[in-house]
Amino acid sequence: MLAKLALQSLLDRKGSAMLSLLAMTVSVFVLLAVEHIRHQAKDNFSNTVSGVDLIVGARTGNINLLLYSVFRIGSPTNNIRWQTYENITSNKLVKWAIPISLGDSHKGYRVLGTTQDYFEYFSYGKKNRLEFDQGHQFDQLFDVVLGAEVANKLGYSLGDKVALAHGIATTSFSMHDDRPFTVVGILAATGTPVDQTLHVSLKGIEAIHIDWQHGVKVANTELTQSDLEKVDLQPKSITAFMLGLSSKMATFQVQRSINEYASEPVVAILPGVALSELWRMIGVLENTLLLVSILVFIAACLGVSSMLLASIRERRHEIQLLRIIGAPPYFLFLLIELEALLITLLGCLLGATLLMACLASLQGYLVAEYGIYIASNILTKHSGYLLMSIIMASIVVAIIPSLSGYRKARES
Amino acid sequence: MAIELADIRFHYPNRAEHTVLNVPSWTLKTGTQGFVYGPSGGGKSTLLGLLSGLLSPNSGQVRVLGQRLDTLSNRQRDQFRAANIGYVFQQFNLMPYLNAIDNVLLATQFSQSNNRGGKENEVKVLFNALNIPENEWQIPCRDLSVGQQQRVAIARALINKPKLLIADEPTSSLDQANSDAFMKLLMPMAADNNMTLLFVSHDHSLSSYFTSVESLGDFNQVEGINNAS
Repeated sequence: MLAKLALQSLLDRKGSAMLSLLAMTVSVFVLLAVEHIRHQAKDNFSNTVSGVDLIVGARTGNINLLLYSVFRIGSPTNNIRWQTYENITSNKLVKWAIPISLGDSHKGYRVLGTTQDYFEYFSYGKKNRLEFDQGHQFDQLFDVVLGAEVANKLGYSLGDKVALAHGIATTSFSMHDDRPFTVVGILAATGTPVDQTLHVSLKGIEAIHIDWQHGVKVANTELTQSDLEKVDLQPKSITAFMLGLSSKMATFQVQRSINEYASEPVVAILPGVALSELWRMIGVLENTLLLVSILVFIAACLGVSSMLLASIRERRHEIQLLRIIGAPPYFLFLLIELEALLITLLGCLLGATLLMACLASLQGYLVAEYGIYIASNILTKHSGYLLMSIIMASIVVAIIPSLSGYRKARES
Repeated sequence: MAIELADIRFHYPNRAEHTVLNVPSWTLKTGTQGFVYGPSGGGKSTLLGLLSGLLSPNSGQVRVLGQRLDTLSNRQRDQFRAANIGYVFQQFNLMPYLNAIDNVLLATQFSQSNNRGGKENEVKVLFNALNIPENEWQIPCRDLSVGQQQRVAIARALINKPKLLIADEPTSSLDQANSDAFMKLLMPMAADNNMTLLFVSHDHSLSSYFTSVESLGDFNQVEGINNAS
């Protein structure tokens, strides 16, 4: 009967109850969305690279090295000599090494020069290896392997010719169009920056820069591919390299020896440590978002409470009537709490449903446009706790109108 | 005795200097259909508040159906009222958004004997006895006419078979025809169920229906006190 009374009483005040419900739904939606995307982003983020023990580059900040080597954001401060790469990787604790050479682009997507070891050893997420959606890894000088998003967005398929641009701007005036690359492989989507990368061999990178000096094309010699293959295309420098060690225990030992490398200033970072450092910086923004959504929720709670508080005055006669038929004052307290709870529960249900519907319908778009994968299932342990706290908080805030109802009941 | 008052004094907490009730002694015999009249603001509603246990006297004894109300706890008084006292107001007798049946069932919620199963049938029997047409049972009470609402109010007051029925100006919002119809339903209902009826009104013309008629001013002696203080 209490539940029926609460429900009917809310239905009787449809206008204000609906507005309160709407406010509650929106706030639950925002709160759940921020919380969900926060966790998803963190997962995605820390899944960007795995299985790599050390990343080595020219001496710079940890985060800067991580950003340009893994996330392809920003520019490398300096290159490191090929000799340095060879010296460091000759250490018997090094199991494998992936050299990285950055600096060129194609229609805004970064070009990564590397070796075939990249496809062998690079992993992301929970130690997932890169997989080919179509084709195979590069083995000719002018072969290119596309990330899923590059192929998808630019509409490339196997066999297409791709001209690389010098530099990393979307619109570049200095094109390596005299030596186009052929698409030989397309990687499966990973949800990491790999999707936005074109992979070519280090020698390919060397080859397109053969008559370039200081970033400018100085001669336009018509070298054919067979001519080029005769030239020594051993790169003289690379941007950075990733190391896999034979033993995790050796990580710090190798890191120290790299950091103390005398003939060139280089630095080795642990990707996990740098990732969490970076995440801590982003965390400020993330916490601000969460704080704002909590405030939105509190506002909605207060809205519900003020609606109920205002209703108490209208309900003077109802309260008097309930008292005369024997309802104790705490019945009024429970009645108003229950009304607040009904609005909150319905708001949670609607907000969560709305969010799931939004995520489900936006999922394809987000993956296609931004390479961000956000799961549409929000029913995780975290959101469970969050919903529970939402309900608890609304019960606490509803004490204000409930007490007022209780007091009115005692006075009548 | 259905009601016994002794040495009652009452003032509202926010107006301590203004005594509303000063009743040295007043009784109402069991089975009586009593009518108490008095002008508005004369303490009628306060008296009913004391009798229903919503208010407690500052001093004196309130005995209803043999039970001392002034010594009971708030919770016990609520339970006593739910089980033993039926109450009809002048208006706002019903939850406006509940239908007639739910309104009457709501009153069974707080009485001790709430075996819900048979209650709905009892409600229907009552409605039939009160000539409330069946097509009005399921619509929200705010959509009923005032006269019809007062009939549902009688049903609500009678559903727990109270031994004491208190009516607080129940006909004041009704026109003459409805008022007569209401009285002609209420009086036999109270008689048939062996209830003691206490009917309070400022309208002396209703007194012909009752076996006992008193003026509140006859037993509420506040004049002297308030003038003296």
